[in-house]
Amino acid sequence: MLKISHSIRQLSLVVAGFVVVSLLLESDGLAHWADGLEPGALRTVAVPATQAVQRTLAPLGVGAMREGVLKNLARVGWSDDEALLAEVASEAAKGQKAPENPGCATTSAAAQGPAGLGASGLAGTAAVGGMTSAVGTAGAPNLPAGTRSGGAPAAGADAPLASDVPRTLALAPLPPVEPGRARVVALAGDSMMAVGLSATLMRQAAGDKNLRIVKAFKSGTGLARPEVYNWMDEYPAMLGTEKPDVVIVAIGANDGQGFVVNHKVLAYGTDAWRQVYQDRLASFLAMVSAGGARVVWVALPPMRVAVYDDKIAAINRMAYTVVSQSPQAMWWNPVALVGDEHGKFREFETEPNGQAMRVRATDGIHLSDEGAGKLTALLMKWLDPPPAAPPPAKTGPVNVAAIAPQASQPAARRKRHSHKAAKGQAAKD
Amino acid sequence: MLFPTVEYALFFLAVLAIAWSLYRFKTTHKLFLLLASYVFYGLWNWSYLPLLIGISLFSGLVAQRIQKSQSSGARKSWLVAGAIVCLATLGYYKYTSFLMTAMLQVWSRFGTPPHVEVYSPLLPLGVSFFVFHAISLLGDCYRNKVKEPVKIADALLYVAFFPQLIAGPILRASRFLPQLAIRRNPNALRINRAFLLIVGGLFKKVIVSNMLATRLVEPVFAVPQSYGGWDTLLAVYGYAAQIYCDFSGYTDIAIGCALLLGYRFPRNFNAPYTAADPQEFWRRWHISLSTWLRDYLYFPLGGSRKGSLRTYLNLMITMLLGGLWHGAAWTFVAWGGLHGGYLVVHRLWSRIGWGPLLRWRGTTAWKWTARILLFHAVCLGWVFFRSSTFEIAFEVLGRLGVPGAATLATGPVALVLFLGLAGQWTPARWRNGFEVEMGRWPALARGAAVAVAIAAIEMLGPTGVAPFIYFQF
Repeated sequence: MLKISHSIRQLSLVVAGFVVVSLLLESDGLAHWADGLEPGALRTVAVPATQAVQRTLAPLGVGAMREGVLKNLARVGWSDDEALLAEVASEAAKGQKAPENPGCATTSAAAQGPAGLGASGLAGTAAVGGMTSAVGTAGAPNLPAGTRSGGAPAAGADAPLASDVPRTLALAPLPPVEPGRARVVALAGDSMMAVGLSATLMRQAAGDKNLRIVKAFKSGTGLARPEVYNWMDEYPAMLGTEKPDVVIVAIGANDGQGFVVNHKVLAYGTDAWRQVYQDRLASFLAMVSAGGARVVWVALPPMRVAVYDDKIAAINRMAYTVVSQSPQAMWWNPVALVGDEHGKFREFETEPNGQAMRVRATDGIHLSDEGAGKLTALLMKWLDPPPAAPPPAKTGPVNVAAIAPQASQPAARRKRHSHKAAKGQAAKD
Repeated sequence: MLFPTVEYALFFLAVLAIAWSLYRFKTTHKLFLLLASYVFYGLWNWSYLPLLIGISLFSGLVAQRIQKSQSSGARKSWLVAGAIVCLATLGYYKYTSFLMTAMLQVWSRFGTPPHVEVYSPLLPLGVSFFVFHAISLLGDCYRNKVKEPVKIADALLYVAFFPQLIAGPILRASRFLPQLAIRRNPNALRINRAFLLIVGGLFKKVIVSNMLATRLVEPVFAVPQSYGGWDTLLAVYGYAAQIYCDFSGYTDIAIGCALLLGYRFPRNFNAPYTAADPQEFWRRWHISLSTWLRDYLYFPLGGSRKGSLRTYLNLMITMLLGGLWHGAAWTFVAWGGLHGGYLVVHRLWSRIGWGPLLRWRGTTAWKWTARILLFHAVCLGWVFFRSSTFEIAFEVLGRLGVPGAATLATGPVALVLFLGLAGQWTPARWRNGFEVEMGRWPALARGAAVAVAIAAIEMLGPTGVAPFIYFQF
């Protein structure tokens, strides 16, 4: 009769076997995990420790085997890593054999951004290293090395920080939808797009033959930590062969955190942090607007928790600073739709019949479906205006926004706010 | 810390090592586990730690008062007062805005209601679970099921013990407190069972649940209008598999972790989709909640002792409140109502004593027919459970009749859907046999095998880990 109960000595041996083999199999993954931690005590300990383990075990070649398995999983359609899928598809198209060490792989065409800003990337440490160097070293002298996206800075990367963001809901009109060709609209961003907004917009666009929606969002991501999720790789892979006419972006909710650039911790909110983040925003905007796409950058709504709200307000200012420098991008701020009369967080809105409508999700961060519906109603009118749109009813900001103003208006507003931003920055300096 | 993360693995290995090094010192051992549980909870959000401590301390003190009270009236008063405070806490955090909006909704039918700023407190993680633990402590002391005097430290640990803190299983005080009263036995560890549960739980959560969620369920429930009947049907089946694998995966990991620490948790799932009637389903699905509702709600309401009509009413009340426990939304109430209805219909059906029908009910053909019918009835309930609004739920149901190809049924999706549903039909003897077989292997090899299995799960799983569905409750 075999025993099914065991002693702690046995437990110790089982755990020892587990730890040793886990280190052997997962040394790359652990190093990647440590690299993705927020700067702090744990990261300070974990990064050198996991990298030491990784270096020690690298000669065994387990990492390369692991990457080979991941590629094979991508080939049979198991993987959901868009960049890896694109890379594998590209290799298949070229009829080339996958390189043994993906960390040394050349950037696939499909994984490159339309503006050539992308870098090859598996979710492994080797790829992360490749990405970090690919996000560049040249650029503004103030930037820490290893932050630039390629050569020259993208538009808006070095613009002085705006002191405030406009609450505009105005959008310059789009050219009419061409008969027989649906307008391709990409929805890009983190959970601020994935939760509420995207589903509501897609439901409203489901029966609209003039629109085709492309999903390009991923929860739990952002632009601050490309070593964790690299939008410069993932976005082109998400698009595949689609060439969007319009890109609606809602991103930044996870970006209020420090990061490490060239072994240097940049604390959230410092000037160095802002420079790098603004650079990443600019590179991302250049990528999504490449190919002539019009970009609607949806400002993040006010948040429930004050500390977080302050962070989001700062991220909005940085995003606006960058967006206002791009001729193809429009700043769209829904605070009038989902915030209170002071532009602060509001969870419920009172409807005309006295009922309460939840406009924000219970987490105090995302939009509820109803709240998102207020945004998407306007966006749908803009994306696919009714054939004989009535003249604007001037009863409030929503109605004013529902009918797009003159094309020159956003530019004028941009200029004005750029001026304000410059003044604000000067005062700060 | 989510279970399937490196952070949790490091945390748990550290706790395991320290806890066993302290096992000889019973009180220190328990205090260490309590501290570890607070760290585990505090890493989510420190600001709610006082609430957790407050509720568990309060329930421990009231439990002591119940035990010390001589008269049954005083005992009952303490129980009622304690339960009211616990339920009021749960109600405040979970149902304030729901009740206010419902009130405004009703009022608006008769006229314009006054302007009211609807308020909704941020929901503390796991509040539904730790409040139910607190009530279980009071209830079990009231019924004299807890024989020994309750110690405050034990009450605190019972409510906050980290493997079950966030999403159960809901432990009974009468079964867990006796485990705290004795020293851990370092020679009676079900190591193999524990690791099988952990690996199985990770497989169910990381691979089956996550893949079904991202590739099948979320797309269809987000935009049902974009999918035809086959995709919609697969998404409904997919959600049945997803929620089972998500929640049972969580509890399997919780049970496995507790086992490694030397504690026994009750089984929370027992192949629920193999059930042939609604009563059997609730004996197999979320067992710790269904038995909690039975013991602390259905029985106090009178159970089945007060006639048929009262039994049906009690069933409906229990299931409606069970639905509401899952979330402050009418879709959850509808889900509970459907299950209450199933239980009532089943009772009525069971009372039919017509001979040929009785004989037919004994056949294998009927048993399989009943299983299939019940599974689809349960799936109907899941549509309301999963949908954020009734409009989406009815849209999903409406799309079932729309022709269209199964565009989402890729090979991997079909495989994990099959595994998620068919896995419940694997005989228990396989698992038991494998546990025994593992016992033949050297300990180091067992550890290595677990590491290989977890590495494989990590590679096969989608990128990122979604929170467990039951965390929101």
